[in-house]
Amino acid sequence: MVKKNKKLLIFFTIIFLPAFIVTSPDWLKINGITPCWPVILLLPFSLHNSPWKAGIASILLGIFIDSFTISNVSYIPSLFVLSLIWSQYGLHNKKIELFLNIGLMAILGTAFIALSIWLQKIILYSVLRDNWFHSWSLYVLISEVIITGLVAPFFSSWLLLTYKKN
Amino acid sequence: MIKARGKIGFYLLLKKRLWVIFVFGILLFGVRWTKGAGYLDIYSILINPILPGSAQKEWIKEGENIERNIRLKLLEDDNNRLRKALSLKEFNSDNRISAAVISRSSRNWWQQLEINKGAKDGVLKGQAVIGPGGLIGLVDSTTPLTARVRLLTDPGHQVGAWIDRTKRHGILTGMGTNRPKLIFLNKNSLAKIGDAVTTSPASTLLPPNLTIGIVQFVNEKALPSPFAIVQLTASPEAIDWVQILKDNG
Repeated sequence: MVKKNKKLLIFFTIIFLPAFIVTSPDWLKINGITPCWPVILLLPFSLHNSPWKAGIASILLGIFIDSFTISNVSYIPSLFVLSLIWSQYGLHNKKIELFLNIGLMAILGTAFIALSIWLQKIILYSVLRDNWFHSWSLYVLISEVIITGLVAPFFSSWLLLTYKKN
Repeated sequence: MIKARGKIGFYLLLKKRLWVIFVFGILLFGVRWTKGAGYLDIYSILINPILPGSAQKEWIKEGENIERNIRLKLLEDDNNRLRKALSLKEFNSDNRISAAVISRSSRNWWQQLEINKGAKDGVLKGQAVIGPGGLIGLVDSTTPLTARVRLLTDPGHQVGAWIDRTKRHGILTGMGTNRPKLIFLNKNSLAKIGDAVTTSPASTLLPPNLTIGIVQFVNEKALPSPFAIVQLTASPEAIDWVQILKDNG
């Protein structure tokens, strides 16, 4: 049973993550915006592992996700901070697999990542210090938070339970 | 002694499963270095049998009609100019590569398309990509079988454009929405709502007179220079097939 769970976990992590990032399926979008997949995958791993392991995983995940984007803006700083926070939280709380608890953490994490990307874009491209860009960024942030909040309780809590069984 | 050390090193590599980390590290480095080329190529091969059909929705047809009308007028103007000066380069419509959109991220933080033609088909970085309605973006990177297109709407993406009626140049800057901002280089833009925005004949990076969009809003008093908000005539969200222009000159 443990072996089966482990295989499922490996399959989900290795096959589905790149598949969802590359295909960005329309049925998993809200207003054309996909869930924040790094959050969905990193959250259960960080809650279950020590800070240094979570930190390394966040950097590796960030490197991987950045391969599929087109600008200099990176996921790594925000993912690293989140992995440390979640890992600390996971070490001191036992009821973290609660459905809504995971969703709330994913929502806050997604908002943090979105703010980080927003900030990095403003710093890198001075032309984006503009109301038109800010209103659009707010729209993306809210949509991304909503869709991640809806998807994370299913995927992340399942992943967390599988980690615990292993 | 040396042999023993070698044995210990080899034993540690196998026993401690360091080789897994080593192989994983190399794989990750490979993915980052190639910008996910392997994944994209495999996905392109898998998706090939179920590529979207050429049927487009009504509003794409509408976009095409607008594009045709604008281009007709531009071609007439070009014809007159050529008769006078012969200063414009010839626009060769056969020099195009058709490609299907295999992945779309047109509203997210990064606005891009993945298409199923790559370096193997002659696609190069920087080439212009057009769809029904006009220019939609430029090729950002390529793999052997796919290419990544950075859309005009991507925040921070800048291309040169002009308004044909006023002959005023500007920089079209992506703001995330379907309405990029045209920042004029002149103090007085003379632009009006409804003016057609196209690529400039003076540009060496893009082919001349490709339709981009229509002016929807003008702010003449903006500082440091006036700007216009442009509604794109091509809709990346609904386009299934695109064309890559081989020759940007």
